[in-house]
Amino acid sequence: MNQTSTLASSRCNTESGIWKFSEILADAAVRERWEKVRKYFFLRESSYDMTTRCNIRCDGCYYYEGQKQFAQCNENPKAWQELMSQEKKRGITFVVLAGAEPSLVPRILETCYEEVSLGCIATNGFIRIPESVGYRIHISVWGNDRTSLRIRRAKNLLLKQLDNYQNDPRALFVYTFTRNNIDEAHEVVKMIAGHGGKVTFNMFSAPVGYEGNLRHDLKSLDLTRRVMLDLLAQYPENVIYSTYNAVAHTQPSGLHQIYGCSYPRMNPSEDIGLGRSFRQYRADLSWDREKACCVPDTDCNDCRHYASGSAVVTARLHRHATQPDTFRSWLDYVDTYLAVWVMGYKKSDNLCPEQVEPPQRPE
Amino acid sequence: MSACVDQEALIRRIAEIIIFELKLENMTPEAFAPDLDLVDELGVDSMDMATVVLVLQDEYGVAIDEDDYPKLGSIRKIADYIRQNLENK
Repeated sequence: MNQTSTLASSRCNTESGIWKFSEILADAAVRERWEKVRKYFFLRESSYDMTTRCNIRCDGCYYYEGQKQFAQCNENPKAWQELMSQEKKRGITFVVLAGAEPSLVPRILETCYEEVSLGCIATNGFIRIPESVGYRIHISVWGNDRTSLRIRRAKNLLLKQLDNYQNDPRALFVYTFTRNNIDEAHEVVKMIAGHGGKVTFNMFSAPVGYEGNLRHDLKSLDLTRRVMLDLLAQYPENVIYSTYNAVAHTQPSGLHQIYGCSYPRMNPSEDIGLGRSFRQYRADLSWDREKACCVPDTDCNDCRHYASGSAVVTARLHRHATQPDTFRSWLDYVDTYLAVWVMGYKKSDNLCPEQVEPPQRPE
Repeated sequence: MSACVDQEALIRRIAEIIIFELKLENMTPEAFAPDLDLVDELGVDSMDMATVVLVLQDEYGVAIDEDDYPKLGSIRKIADYIRQNLENK
């Protein structure tokens, strides 16, 4: 059989409904976006709990679930400097500094930044992180200030957050949709946009054993998607998101069921990718492969976290490269993920406004 | 096609694709050891592998399953995988 006939009978042709990758990339805008995002394929993340302390207590907080909250804090900058140095040596290029509240240990944040220059900090925004720490800063927002007072016991939180991070290019507000705060997103995003801030969206994902009323149901998932898309259309300069983000994160099933989570906790393979390189360090600098994922102690069946999706959806390049619209949607997702996580990365206009369903998992 | 596939040519072409796609400017196809471990020794990650796989699928008209990435740990292993795939068509 000659090469021509082999190619003609292969699965990679438009007659079978599956496009060749080169055919998808023949579109100049798609090619340009692909070249833009693939420059960041060098990113290798790991995540770190900085301390067990926090200055507020929120209903549904993932941090105060499971054993990690009982770790003995190591707040010695020298120990953190050594850890980051070792992480760099094993190929980690991006650090996510999270639980419980990183702003309480600014010296350690500086130490991490001095060793690994790319990263992101998840904070409640009550205390401003010094400018000497040049990481992206994600400020969690769980509704308007009446809701924050109720479920986070924090007074005037949004006003305080906006005041702390006014005109700060590091800052990105992360609005977490729960079952009960969906409509409040309009007033919160309006307020953030009014201050010139940027915002992206997260989905409340229940911790293991959670029985509270923030967990999403089919009705709230559907409503959340509509509100996300409305806000994206209404505030294109302020909302960092895409149609496919909204689709992927408001499915009846969680991310693991749709895409197959690639974090060690749900992925036994250590051959390549996150299953091989990702670690989630507790505040005592120990880590446990069995529990390692971006938001430990989340119920995997309910996981729709933005952090999880950023890795899990992005990692599924292969299965998105079958149709032009599916691939455009994936590019929008990756472009969004990079703008959300990487300091200085500029989001481009989304390529695919249509709601494209996630590709099926291979049998 | 399978009978015509020259293993050396296949290995060389895969090396060229990897060098081009992963922008390995200091590598040449001649110097690219076929048994070099792409993950351990070259630092190839899953996104790099997916990129290479998509190009290989186009070039050879074979379907490569994403669950098979761990089987593609060196150029020789990739060549063997493609040969076998072509023979089974």
